[in-house]
Amino acid sequence: MRKRRLIGAGIASMGLLMCLSTPSSGFLEDLFAPRPPKDSSTETRPSPKQKQDQPDLMEGLGGLFGAEKKDIDLLKKGLGVIQALQPIGEEEELALGQAVAVEAFSRFGGEYHNASLTRYVNLVGQTIAEVSDRPNLAYHFAILNSEEQNAFAAPGGYIFVTIGLLKTLKNEAELAGVLAHEIAHVTQKHMLETIRRSALLSNVSELTLTVLNKDPQMFSNLIDEIADKLFTKGLDKEKEFEADEYGVEFAYRAGYNPRGLRDYLVTLQSQEGRARSRFFSTHPNTSERIAKLDGLLRNYPDGDALPLLAERFARYLRSV
Amino acid sequence: MMTMTKFFACLGVLLLIGVGQAHAAILYAKKDRVKITADKSPTSRTIAMLSLGDPVEVIQQSGRRYRVKLPDGKTGWVFKFKLSENKPTRRSGGSGLAGLTGQGTVVAQEARAGGSIRGLKESTKQYAERKRIDPAHRQAVENMEQFSLSPDELLAFQREGGIGEYAGGGQ
Repeated sequence: MRKRRLIGAGIASMGLLMCLSTPSSGFLEDLFAPRPPKDSSTETRPSPKQKQDQPDLMEGLGGLFGAEKKDIDLLKKGLGVIQALQPIGEEEELALGQAVAVEAFSRFGGEYHNASLTRYVNLVGQTIAEVSDRPNLAYHFAILNSEEQNAFAAPGGYIFVTIGLLKTLKNEAELAGVLAHEIAHVTQKHMLETIRRSALLSNVSELTLTVLNKDPQMFSNLIDEIADKLFTKGLDKEKEFEADEYGVEFAYRAGYNPRGLRDYLVTLQSQEGRARSRFFSTHPNTSERIAKLDGLLRNYPDGDALPLLAERFARYLRSV
Repeated sequence: MMTMTKFFACLGVLLLIGVGQAHAAILYAKKDRVKITADKSPTSRTIAMLSLGDPVEVIQQSGRRYRVKLPDGKTGWVFKFKLSENKPTRRSGGSGLAGLTGQGTVVAQEARAGGSIRGLKESTKQYAERKRIDPAHRQAVENMEQFSLSPDELLAFQREGGIGEYAGGGQ
């Protein structure tokens, strides 16, 4: 009996010492603090062994579902190509992003000329970008002269928001929420991954700047593909949810009330059917996004103490 | 009984060694111009400015700020979201415009490798020509890229709104 107590006390003291062994009050604070999205840079990548195992699993599953060997071999070949094409590099990302930016201005009424408002959007955007998971990219923010409610991010950190969307927002935290969502698409390289997959399906085995410069048609096709995703079809639902999650985190880190994006989506939802916005077709169902954001916001118990900055926002919007 | 006591005594010593090691958490500046202040308040005297990748040892966490020890032994406070667990490195091609301008602007920190520092890339020009995109839209992208903010302007904006490192009263 005494021995059991001693062992129990030992386990308890180990627990206590473990609490103390983290930087002052870190353990308990970390336990109850909002959980940031997983740092992508520390994510464990599959080992070569795991990759080699994948086709065997395919064979097993394929056999179970009655697939013929030649079909399985074809699929295995496809997987081999996927593994062969490297992620798109930064030079290529910047080249693609700049061309998409030109296309964005062309499709959405051009640049909205208001120096003070452009400066304001850049100040809010840079405040978020510098605490994001990719703070050393040169982010650029611009306002598009379109009454449609829209915002999007081209690869390489080119972030756009329409004047129509700005007029709908109620405060700076909502603007921060929208911009943080777009910044998250860039930090998570969502579009690049989408393009890489499309390139594979078109049997493209290399996407370097040298190849793109040599083949203007291929470059043009890629820009069309990105524009189609950004402006018409939208990214995968999961990528949008991930951008919401990271966006909330980045807005919180920047010191904004993290409910900004959620509050804007509530406004958007109330306008469904009459608002001019492609968000309804390029993004997942607004109610579903709001529900997921409500869940996420529970991880930020101190978030409501952070500012919305409605007055400052109104001051800058007065010039519109 | 004695054996059990000795076991827990040894365990305690080992864990205490662990305490010392865990306290020596090393984090790195996520970017250039990360401010270290003398006191917890972000408006207190700046004692050092970290560059991208500079290491600091965390000795205390308090809200959004960490008390840290610099390699030269000085201690001060820093906004925790400007630190990273992984040591960031500069991309090949140098520090881009930030290097050229003495890091005087917030925008354009990353290398503009593979293209001109200012102006449209050849690939963009060719694309715009093929698609017959209005020169005004090409100019709009150049305007977007050339826009810059000074670090002081950004800090003043954050201070006025109580955001960034001034969030929660800088506590």
